[in-house]
Amino acid sequence: MTAWLVRRVAAAIAIVWAVVTVTFVLVHVAPGTPFLPPAETPVDPAVLERLRSQFGLDRPLSEQYVRYLREIARGNLGESFALHRPVADALAEALPNTLTLAGAALCIEFVLGLALGVYQAARARRFGDVALGNATLFLYSVPTFWLGLLLLVVFGQWLRWFPVGGVVDVVTHESLPWAGRVADRLWHLALPAGTLGLVGAAATARFERAAMLEVLGQDYVRTARAKGLPERRVVLGHALRNALLPFVTLFGLAFPFLLTGAVLVETVFAWPGMGRLAAEAIFRRDYPVVTAAAMLASGMVVLGSLLADLLYAAADPRIRTSAA
Amino acid sequence: MRAPHAVRASPSATVRLTALSVLLFVACAHREGCTGDYCGTLVIATAGEPESLLPPVITSAVGLAVADQLFLKLADIGLSTNTVGDEDFQPQLAERWEWADSVTLVFHLDPRARWQDGRAVTALDVAFTFDAYNDPAVNSPFRSGVRAISAVTARDSLTAVFRFRKRYPEMFYDAVYHLRILPAHLLRAIPRDQWRSALFGRRPVGDGPYRFVSWKAGEQLELAADSAFFLGRPHLRRVIWRLTPDLQVAVTQLVADQADAIEVLGPPDNLKRAQGAPQLTLYPYRGATYAYLGFNLAANGDSSRPHPLFGERELRRALVMAVDRERLLQNVWGDAARVPPGPMPQLWWIWDPETRMLPSDTAQASRLLTRLGWRDSDHDGVRKRQGNRLAFRIMVPTTSAVRRQYARLLQEQYRSLGAEVELDEVEPSVFAQRAAAGRFDALLISWNADPTPTSSIAQTWTREGIGRSNYLRYVSPAFDGLVERASAGAGRRAATQRTWRQAIELLNQDAPAVFLFAPQSVAAVHRRVADVTIRPDSWLALLRTWRIPADRLIDRDRVER
Repeated sequence: MTAWLVRRVAAAIAIVWAVVTVTFVLVHVAPGTPFLPPAETPVDPAVLERLRSQFGLDRPLSEQYVRYLREIARGNLGESFALHRPVADALAEALPNTLTLAGAALCIEFVLGLALGVYQAARARRFGDVALGNATLFLYSVPTFWLGLLLLVVFGQWLRWFPVGGVVDVVTHESLPWAGRVADRLWHLALPAGTLGLVGAAATARFERAAMLEVLGQDYVRTARAKGLPERRVVLGHALRNALLPFVTLFGLAFPFLLTGAVLVETVFAWPGMGRLAAEAIFRRDYPVVTAAAMLASGMVVLGSLLADLLYAAADPRIRTSAA
Repeated sequence: MRAPHAVRASPSATVRLTALSVLLFVACAHREGCTGDYCGTLVIATAGEPESLLPPVITSAVGLAVADQLFLKLADIGLSTNTVGDEDFQPQLAERWEWADSVTLVFHLDPRARWQDGRAVTALDVAFTFDAYNDPAVNSPFRSGVRAISAVTARDSLTAVFRFRKRYPEMFYDAVYHLRILPAHLLRAIPRDQWRSALFGRRPVGDGPYRFVSWKAGEQLELAADSAFFLGRPHLRRVIWRLTPDLQVAVTQLVADQADAIEVLGPPDNLKRAQGAPQLTLYPYRGATYAYLGFNLAANGDSSRPHPLFGERELRRALVMAVDRERLLQNVWGDAARVPPGPMPQLWWIWDPETRMLPSDTAQASRLLTRLGWRDSDHDGVRKRQGNRLAFRIMVPTTSAVRRQYARLLQEQYRSLGAEVELDEVEPSVFAQRAAAGRFDALLISWNADPTPTSSIAQTWTREGIGRSNYLRYVSPAFDGLVERASAGAGRRAATQRTWRQAIELLNQDAPAVFLFAPQSVAAVHRRVADVTIRPDSWLALLRTWRIPADRLIDRDRVER
């Protein structure tokens, strides 16, 4: 098991390095230029040239790459071209927001997806199953940003049940007691996490329905029913436990989806997370932020996948044996 | 006796429900808070975020708007936005000034002025500020704006002396408009080449009507009124910028009553949305933007050769006349913009509707093209001359919905004339890169301009701008001469304006561009805010005088931080 773990960690590092390298090269060779002001105002080219020189962009790409790797090895992610601050500071502020959003979305995705999938499987081919099947198919098909805009307009702008953006109420938050602050954060989290979570839940529900249907047709389930156990106990106590195993794999797959989905959702809901930071950095050609964000995101995805493998191994003794 | 199916809350459910109610009550409870004339809280929705609050390194409009509440200038431009002479300027840090001779300007600082750490503002701060703005290590984008000033010295602690290299009409403007005076005692120790990322830029200490409170990246930036401000206590107690990724999100927050104000609503769709929000009052003011379809006079990607089409003046004139600018304007903007009489925003004092332009006349344009030898002899809808098709590409940035709409309408208008137009929709950084490198046939560009035409016109339309922002590579010695005369002329304003008009008319005759629109800016502010005065070049310049009367305070005004 230890050797397997070492191999996986080494592979993870190699993947992150490859992602950093590809991102570094792509952002530098892509057309476009950094250091431009957001609005179209006349810019003195001498100012731009001095900035290019200051950040070493006038050096050969290979030299820039070696220098970048050396700085990363020292724990220095560089200074953002556009934000005028260290990249590490910007990421440190954005990351907790993205993890909060992704975590909340993950909870919605798995709790709701699991419940819907089990419900549908238990009532397979009946009205409830068909209706929910169509609903989940619709949610699975719509683009995340479109669903976000829809929820924003309906629940934020028209009904005004939820805020239309931001992490907290900028006026009242600091004056609230701790319980109020928590409630304020949850209130602001509802729409963006709901958007990401609903789309994910639709996929999870369809996956879980299929897994449950397969398990429900097996002999031990038939035996449980023959013993006269209540259907509720058969489904939740016997079938669900075995249908949960592939779910662990789904957890590993959900993480990259949440991170990519977060880019759009964070923009729609003005959520100051990694996705928004990276998207803005791409448009501004803020190379250090783009590369660092890619490194961090790939690290998180690889970590999620590793975690899923470990959980799978913990849940299934056969995996443990073969890994050893 | 209870009905068989009646629902009874279990004890745990009751506890959960109670806890939730308490939580919601606590979250929603409003405190008594502030009352009176100095309680207002203004939440400003804005697209984008300042990169720093250290004035010499700021490039964004929102950054400058915030910095103007924190740092004072010696004097500031008046509501007329007249940049010539010093008559229309208002004292700020300087209580008065005088001209020692034609190139020496003496400012006398207000002795009451204090930095927010308690130190007095002195003439040494003024000299230090000029030195910083002029230092290549700081690399300030405003450096070129102070190049006509040869030195700034401190005669005594409250007297700063500016010496200019020459005499010209906008000397006073150059001395005061870009220089936000900096605290030398707090900045001297920071190496100049590190000012871009200096911590001071994220936690500034100023001398303005507001002091810095907090800044959470991507979320919000808050200032609080300095109750001891020497020019008078600001009425609005808190000013909070909600930092959003784009204009649409900002407008949504405004319309949903989660923000109080926005600088510019932008395209007509946003205007309609704001008009439908009963809590808002709209404030139109002269806009600082103008846009045009510019023809590259040099070959695409090779500035040493003339463009095969646009190098020919008469062809350009035909292409300008072929565009029905008023119809395009009505289609896209309605009444929210005007066709500019040349390269100018509505903000500039040289705006003169009587300025002669080439007429919009499709028939005349068609005749001119035929006379030049451009004919559609094979009836495929595209004119040709000596085997060359009348075909070109228009570059437009993907982020501007208005300009993309204009590009499509132009494509259609040119098609009916027999010109084949294709669109290159590229993202902004690619647009800027290709524009600067001259890798385009024609481009749809808009500029945000300073209050003065002098620097902007020189940078974008004269030989001096080649290699800078004169992307079209338009060169006309006659035009340059007139601009020089208008910029340097020491005569009366009317005479200067006549010279400007001559210059613009000359440029219009040369037809390097089709001047398409100059929008009127429209700000939206919550109707509870009174005494809203907007200065067109800087919408929050007079924020200190805005107020919310005590009887119009709402919950967010009363919240104590």
